[in-house]
Amino acid sequence: MKLNVKIYRYKPGTEPHYDTFPVEVPETANVLDALERAWADHDMSIMFRHACHHASCGSCGLLVNDQEKLPCVTPVTDYGEGATLKIDPMRNMPVITDLAVDASVVYQRMELIGMPIIRNAETIRPDKRTILPEGLETFGRFENCLECGLCLSACPVMATDPQFLGPMTLAAAERLLAEPRGADVDRVYRLVDDEHGVWRCHSSFECTEACPYEVDPGAAIMRLKRKIGMRKLKRFFGGS
Amino acid sequence: MSKKFHVIVIGAGSTGTATAHDLALRGLDVTVIERGEIASGTTGRNHCLLHSGGRYAVKDHEGAIECIEENMILRKIMHDVLELNDGLFVAVDESDLAFKETFLAGCEECHIPAREVPVKRALEIEPYLNPKILAAVQVPDGVFEPYRFCLSFLATAVKNGAQALPYHEVVAMKMSGNAVAGVRVRDYRTGQEREIDADLVVNAAGPWAEHIAAMASVDVPVQPTPGVMVTIAKRLNQMVINRLNKPADGDIVVPQRQTSIIGTTSWKVENADAIPIPQDHIDKMLHMGELMIPAVRQNPIRGVMAVARPLISKPGTDERDASRTFECFDHKYDGVENFVTISGGKTTTARAMAEKVSNIVCRKLGVEAECRTRDVVLESYRNYYDN
Amino acid sequence: MASDVQPKPVKRKPIEWFNLKGKRVGFWAYVGMRLSAIGLVLYLFLHLAVLSQLAVGPTAWDNFVALAKSPIFLLLDVILIIGILVHGLNGIRLSLIGFGIGVPSHKLMLWLAVILTIVFSILSALAIFSETH
Repeated sequence: MKLNVKIYRYKPGTEPHYDTFPVEVPETANVLDALERAWADHDMSIMFRHACHHASCGSCGLLVNDQEKLPCVTPVTDYGEGATLKIDPMRNMPVITDLAVDASVVYQRMELIGMPIIRNAETIRPDKRTILPEGLETFGRFENCLECGLCLSACPVMATDPQFLGPMTLAAAERLLAEPRGADVDRVYRLVDDEHGVWRCHSSFECTEACPYEVDPGAAIMRLKRKIGMRKLKRFFGGS
Repeated sequence: MSKKFHVIVIGAGSTGTATAHDLALRGLDVTVIERGEIASGTTGRNHCLLHSGGRYAVKDHEGAIECIEENMILRKIMHDVLELNDGLFVAVDESDLAFKETFLAGCEECHIPAREVPVKRALEIEPYLNPKILAAVQVPDGVFEPYRFCLSFLATAVKNGAQALPYHEVVAMKMSGNAVAGVRVRDYRTGQEREIDADLVVNAAGPWAEHIAAMASVDVPVQPTPGVMVTIAKRLNQMVINRLNKPADGDIVVPQRQTSIIGTTSWKVENADAIPIPQDHIDKMLHMGELMIPAVRQNPIRGVMAVARPLISKPGTDERDASRTFECFDHKYDGVENFVTISGGKTTTARAMAEKVSNIVCRKLGVEAECRTRDVVLESYRNYYDN
Repeated sequence: MASDVQPKPVKRKPIEWFNLKGKRVGFWAYVGMRLSAIGLVLYLFLHLAVLSQLAVGPTAWDNFVALAKSPIFLLLDVILIIGILVHGLNGIRLSLIGFGIGVPSHKLMLWLAVILTIVFSILSALAIFSETH
């Protein structure tokens, strides 16, 4: 399949511009393969972040035709033969060079909330029981959230308020409150019940559209708002 | 106060980051230089299997023992970023079944805890397993995530004073006579080049090690040997599922978040950059995968990946027989001082590789410092971005 | 990393609210809320200015009422109603989902709001233009 990749180029101190390269990749390829092909065949100074190529590390987040995507699992067939893929770095994060952004905000915010990355795995059995092998107390697995930052890129509020916690952080907070695992629940509530916390969200749901792993941060934030509301109500009426 | 030596480590994959951590713990000044993002080379696209060593317990005792020892150490030093669900070796046919006793004996000799699980029980635990399996053996396999694996080591190294330079490519060695005195790098952020001096350079560039070594006019027998992995868009297993037989293509299925990854194959290439993926390898992975987990055919493919392993090639060997244990090359034996290459190995043994090369580095520099990486619990990977 | 080389800082501009490229319906609702809010606030000041004509005297008021029956003004009235519908109906949607109610059907609610806005805008326009004399 023949495609064109139109890549955003930026070196500090110069004006950004786009370079367009033709590539040929198999029908089964993903956008990251096309980008890598352009890099290897045409210009090895194109800088882009990538590691696992199977939607687990979360490092390759990009904009493809102005939409947030994880290129390692976005098929080229979504765009069609002969299409031009405009590739930009993620929004709302400083651009180091070309498509590589400084993703510190992602990791700093997650660390702020303190969400562990390993959770109990749900059962995969049709009868919903969990049967463990000898010696194991529980099955664990990595959380759904890849810490890819695509939701932070897509969110219009992130574009205007640098202190807004962001969909990823708020969804992580909601996850932590659902299963505290020893976390300081009061501290989490204090962080999210704040003018730069949940109340900054204006429900555009772009985060949910961008998320490659069904975290649905939009819905998580709404659940969080309800949790906070109910908690305030209970306290008002003398509960705790 | 004795001089603090400056060591450059080329490559921020599992080998480079673990080496930086080890050297930084020993009090050396370390700079890690990586041409792209951390783990964007071989380590990024590996199968994510924290080996129990069972795979090598029959044919490669040295490899198996290395694996189980390192497996136990990693559980201690980075347990917050590991899926520790064990693994099963399953017998699909009579040949596999006949292999079982050899396998159990091999595990015993290598001190790998292996216990046979009745087939009925195995099918209860793993509902998507081929119902016709003839035997199952449980081993302490695990799953890691390669980017976070590297970030954990690097975050700890940086906390101990190391410096990381991603988006910088080494374009030449700076020589002083027949000794390496540093490197010349191209900073891809600006396009500018500059020199960085060092007392010693460690070449941890994986399948690109030969390319780096050539800059110092030495040769290393590293053969880029890629393999294809196919990611199925559904988590079909909680434990790692292996084929109970001698190592072959497509005999492992690793769960990773909500997916299952079938791997892998093996073929030689000249150029390790952007390797084209042969369709027949993808087909083979699906074919081999469905023998153990039939449902792989009924779910969409989320992605296909391939990257080159850095195998130490010994002339005349088959890829599968090339040792996957690692080698450290002190290039003084090639007439070049202050330059070592560490290659081969697998991500599971990265820490051991780092220990070996760091011992050699310290010996060469006259630094007396013991390796402490077996016991030091690593920083959270997120702290790499704590700036 | 060498601290002499700085990454390109993030451009934060409210104009980004109106960059619709690649955006989906939830975002259009967000933009619609903002635009209708601005419009309604402007209308509020206009309305107060108009009412102040009452304080001036009966002639001033009668002059204004004559102006208010002109076609341009009637059109502005329709636009006002569209603004109220957009802001009000979407506001109900946002209030519900803000309490975690009906979140999985937020898109359905949005399309419902759009349809009701169109229907009632047309009905209002018909009523205003035919009933005014």
